[in-house]
Amino acid sequence: MQDLLHAALDAADGATYADVRIVDTQTEGLTVRDQTVETLDRARSVGFGIRVLADGAWGYAASAALTTEEAARVGRIALEVARESARAVRRPIELVPEPAHRARWSSPLDKDPFEVPLEDKLTLLTGATAEMGKVKGVRFGRGTLDLMRTTTWFASTEGAAITQTVTQTGAGIEALAMSEDEVQVRSYPGSFRGHYASAGWELVADMDLIGNAQRTAEEAVALVSAPECPSTRTTLVLDGHQVMLQVHESVGHPTELDRILGMEAAYAGTSFVGVPDLNHLRYGSDIVNITSDATIPGGLGSFAYDDEGVEAQRADLVRDGILVGFQSSRETAAAMGAERSNGTMRAEGWENFPLVRMTNINLLPGEGSLDDLIADVDDGIYMATNKSWSIDDKRKNFQFGCEIAWEIRNGKLGRILRNPRYTGITPVFWGSCDAVAGAEEWLVRGTPNCGKGQPGQTMRVGHGTSPARFRDVQTGTG
Amino acid sequence: MTAPLDVDAVRRAAAPVLELRGADEVEIVVSASDTGVTRYANSEIIQNTARRETRAYVRVAAGNRVATASTNQLTLTELLAAGSNALEAARTSPDDPAFPGFPTTEQADGPFAVRRYDESAAAADPRHRSEAVQEILKITADASAAGVYETSSHAFAIFNSHGVDRADAYTRCVTTCLVDNGIATGWGEASSHAVDEVDVGAAARRAVDKAQTGRRRGSAERGIYEVVLEPAATAMLIEYLSYTGFGAKSMIEGESFLSKRRGERVGGPGVTVLDDVWHPRSIGIGFDFEGMPRRRVAVIDDGEASQPVTDLRTAKSLGVTSTGHNSGSNEFGPYASNVVMEPGDAAFEELVAAVDDGFLVTRFHYVNVLDRPDTLLTGMTRDGTFRIQKGEVTEAVDNFRFAQSVLAALDSVLGIGRELLTFAPDYGAFGSSVAPAVRVGAFDFATQTSH
Repeated sequence: MQDLLHAALDAADGATYADVRIVDTQTEGLTVRDQTVETLDRARSVGFGIRVLADGAWGYAASAALTTEEAARVGRIALEVARESARAVRRPIELVPEPAHRARWSSPLDKDPFEVPLEDKLTLLTGATAEMGKVKGVRFGRGTLDLMRTTTWFASTEGAAITQTVTQTGAGIEALAMSEDEVQVRSYPGSFRGHYASAGWELVADMDLIGNAQRTAEEAVALVSAPECPSTRTTLVLDGHQVMLQVHESVGHPTELDRILGMEAAYAGTSFVGVPDLNHLRYGSDIVNITSDATIPGGLGSFAYDDEGVEAQRADLVRDGILVGFQSSRETAAAMGAERSNGTMRAEGWENFPLVRMTNINLLPGEGSLDDLIADVDDGIYMATNKSWSIDDKRKNFQFGCEIAWEIRNGKLGRILRNPRYTGITPVFWGSCDAVAGAEEWLVRGTPNCGKGQPGQTMRVGHGTSPARFRDVQTGTG
Repeated sequence: MTAPLDVDAVRRAAAPVLELRGADEVEIVVSASDTGVTRYANSEIIQNTARRETRAYVRVAAGNRVATASTNQLTLTELLAAGSNALEAARTSPDDPAFPGFPTTEQADGPFAVRRYDESAAAADPRHRSEAVQEILKITADASAAGVYETSSHAFAIFNSHGVDRADAYTRCVTTCLVDNGIATGWGEASSHAVDEVDVGAAARRAVDKAQTGRRRGSAERGIYEVVLEPAATAMLIEYLSYTGFGAKSMIEGESFLSKRRGERVGGPGVTVLDDVWHPRSIGIGFDFEGMPRRRVAVIDDGEASQPVTDLRTAKSLGVTSTGHNSGSNEFGPYASNVVMEPGDAAFEELVAAVDDGFLVTRFHYVNVLDRPDTLLTGMTRDGTFRIQKGEVTEAVDNFRFAQSVLAALDSVLGIGRELLTFAPDYGAFGSSVAPAVRVGAFDFATQTSH
C-alpha cells in the first residue's frame, strides 16, 4: 500500500497539495421476506483516488487497478484535471492548516459481525418474519441485515499518514398489511432497513428483533383500518426516529458550509442560512442545542480523521437556539475566514471526491421522558418513525410523513392514526420546540442513505436524538 | 478515454468461473465505466473528477438456493473467490421454490445491443469538459452560474453457465445550468448519448432567459390549478410513476396502481407511457441483469393501465414471458429504467396559449412518495414557476409544494407537446427518461412557501 501511496503523490509533483486515499470496503447484505431469502450479497470494492490542488484548482482521478504504474498514471491525470479546472477559476483555492497526523485507528466493537455464521443471521431474520407472519392480516414480513467494513489508507504531500478501519452494522424488520383500499408498513427499530451504528454484532443482539416482531406486525394491521390523521394545527410530539430525520434535513444540510457558499446550488441546493447569520440567527427556541460530533463512540458518522486528514471534532452548530457554527472543510473554512476545519470532509469509497458531509448531528437531550412530554399535552398528536421527507432547495420549507401516529387527549395516547404528515418552516418549527426528552431517551441513530454531490454519493451519518415536542404545528398536507 | 471494458478479456476470465465446482448454475454480470464530471458553481469550476470503475457480480445457484458475491477486481483469482463466496452463502440459504433458474440461450434469444455509443463522448478529455464549462460561463457572465458537464462511457456484459453471452455499451453527455441573477433562478439542461447533440450554449441561454423572466415577481395562493409542465417536470413525474408501480413485483404484492386498476382508464386519451430502451432518444443497454432482451412495454397504453414490466421470476409467477427488466435486485424486482412518454402534436407555445389562468412549471425538486398505490407524490417546484394568464406567461411566483397523484394528473391531461427531451438520471448512470411538455387540467399546489 505504501508504494502505491507514494507513487500517486510522486506523480502529482508540481502540485500545491495532493492527497491520496486507498479504500477497501467489504459488505454483506441480507434480506429475508417471510421464509425466503430475497437478497444475499457479499461485496468487496478496493481502489484509490488522488486529489490534487494545482494552479488554485482541484483535480481528482480514481482507479481500481492497484499497481504503482496505475497510481502514477492516475496521479498525472489528476494533475491534468486540476490544471484544466484552473482555466475556469476566479478565486484560487486556499486551505486552512491542519497538523500532518500520523495515526492508526479502528472503531470499537465487541463481536465482529462478519465472523457470525450465516446460519445464525438467517435464523434470526426468519425467526422474526415467522413471528410477524403469525399476526392475522399481515401480508408479509421482511427482515434485513447490512454489514460494512471500510479500511482507508490516507497520505498527503504535507506528510500525513493515517490508517483507519470502521465497522458498521444495521438491521431491522418490517411488516406489510393491506386491505382493499389501503397498504401500510410498520417497521422496527426504524424504517429504511432499521437501526445502524458503528458497532459489531452486539447491536443486532440488543435489538431483540424476534421479541418486537409481533407488536410491529400488530401495529401494521391496526394502521390499515385506522382513521386518517387530521389536517389541523396542533401540538406535535415526535419520537426519536422522526426527530433524527428532522435534524438531518432541517439542521444538518442547511449548516453544511459548501451549500451555504453556493457550491451545491445546482443540485442539492443552497441554504436559507448565510455566513453573516453566524452568532445572530435564532434557529430555534432556547432549549435547542445541536452539535456536529464525529467523536461519539458508535455513531454512524464517527471516525478519527476525515477524508482530508483532519482530526475528528465536536462543534456546536446551535447553542441555546442561536446559530453558532457550520460544518466545514479545509477549503470552505478558509473561504469564510475560519482558522481550522471542523473535520467533515467525507467521500463514499475511493471513487469520489470528498465533500462536506454530516458526521453525527445531534440534538442534545433535555429533561424528562417521552411520557412526560405527552403528559403535558391536552390535545395533540404523537408521530413515530419516518416514512417520507421532502424539503426545498434552501432547506426551509419541509414536509415529513411518519409510519404511525396516536392522538393525544388529556396527556394520554388515544387512537392510532394513519398517514400522519406535518409541514413547517425550519426556524419557525424549531422555535416552537418547548421540550426535548432527557438522556435516558437519547440514542445515536444512523441514516445510511444520505445523498449529495455529482456524481451522486451516499453517505452514512448519525444523529443523536430523543423525543421532542413542538407547539402549533400544521399536520396533514395542507 | 478508451472503451471501458475489454469484453474478450473478461469473457476469458469468466469462463472458468462459469464451471465452478459444486454450483448448479453460475452467472457473471460485469459493468465498467469511465466517467468525467466537471462541476461549476459561483461561475467557476469547483470539482473536477475522472474515474474508472469496474465490477463483477457472480450469482451462483445451488439447486434453488441463490446468492451473489461481487468484486471490483476482474482477475481470475478474484472472480473465483467471489464465486466460491457466493456458493458457500447459497448452500446456507433456505430453499427458494420460486427461483426461475438462469435463462437459457433459447429463452434469452432476441436483439440485445442498442449500441447507443458515441466515440466523441467516450474520448472526451478534461480539456473538452473545461472548454464546455467556459462556454457556459461566458453566456451566463452577468449572473452566478452553477451546474455540471459530464461525459462518460459505460459497458455491460453478462455470461451464464447455460451459454448466454451478451455485451452492450453506451455513452452519456450531460449538462445542467442554474443561473441566479439575485432575484430569480433559471434552469437549462441537455442530455444525450452523443456530444454533438448536447448544446451547452442553448442550455445556458435558456437558464439566463428563465431567470430574466423571473425578475417580474407576483404572488399566488395555494390551490388546484391548470398547469403546463415543461419536459423536465413531466420526466420526474413519470420516473416516480415507474418507480412506484411499473414493476410486476409491486403489482403482485399489491403496492402498484396496476394491482387494482389494470385494464382501467388511468390517463387521458393519447397518454402512453412505456419503457423503451430502443427509442432513439433513450440511453441504455438492450438486455437486463439476467441477460434477457429488453422489450418495449407500454405500461399505460393510450390512457389504459396495460401491463407491468417483468423479470424471469415475476414472469413465471404471472405465467407470461419476461419483458427483460430484471433490475439486479430480487428485493426490488423488475424495473423500467427507460421510461418514455409518447409525444402529442402541440407546440410548446400552443400548450401555454391554451391556458386561461394557471402556471408554468420548469422542474420539480426533492420529490417523495406519499401513497404508492395512489401514486401520490409531494415535492417542490424550482427554478421558474410562472403564472399564465390568458395564454401569456406574466410573472414568476414563489415555489409551491405540491401533493398530487400522478395518475390523476395524467387523467386530466389537456394537451401533449410534440418535442421530446432526454433526461439522464442524477444518481448512478443507468437508464434515462424521455418526456414532452404536458398541459394538465388539475394540479394540486397544496402549500405556498416562505423564502
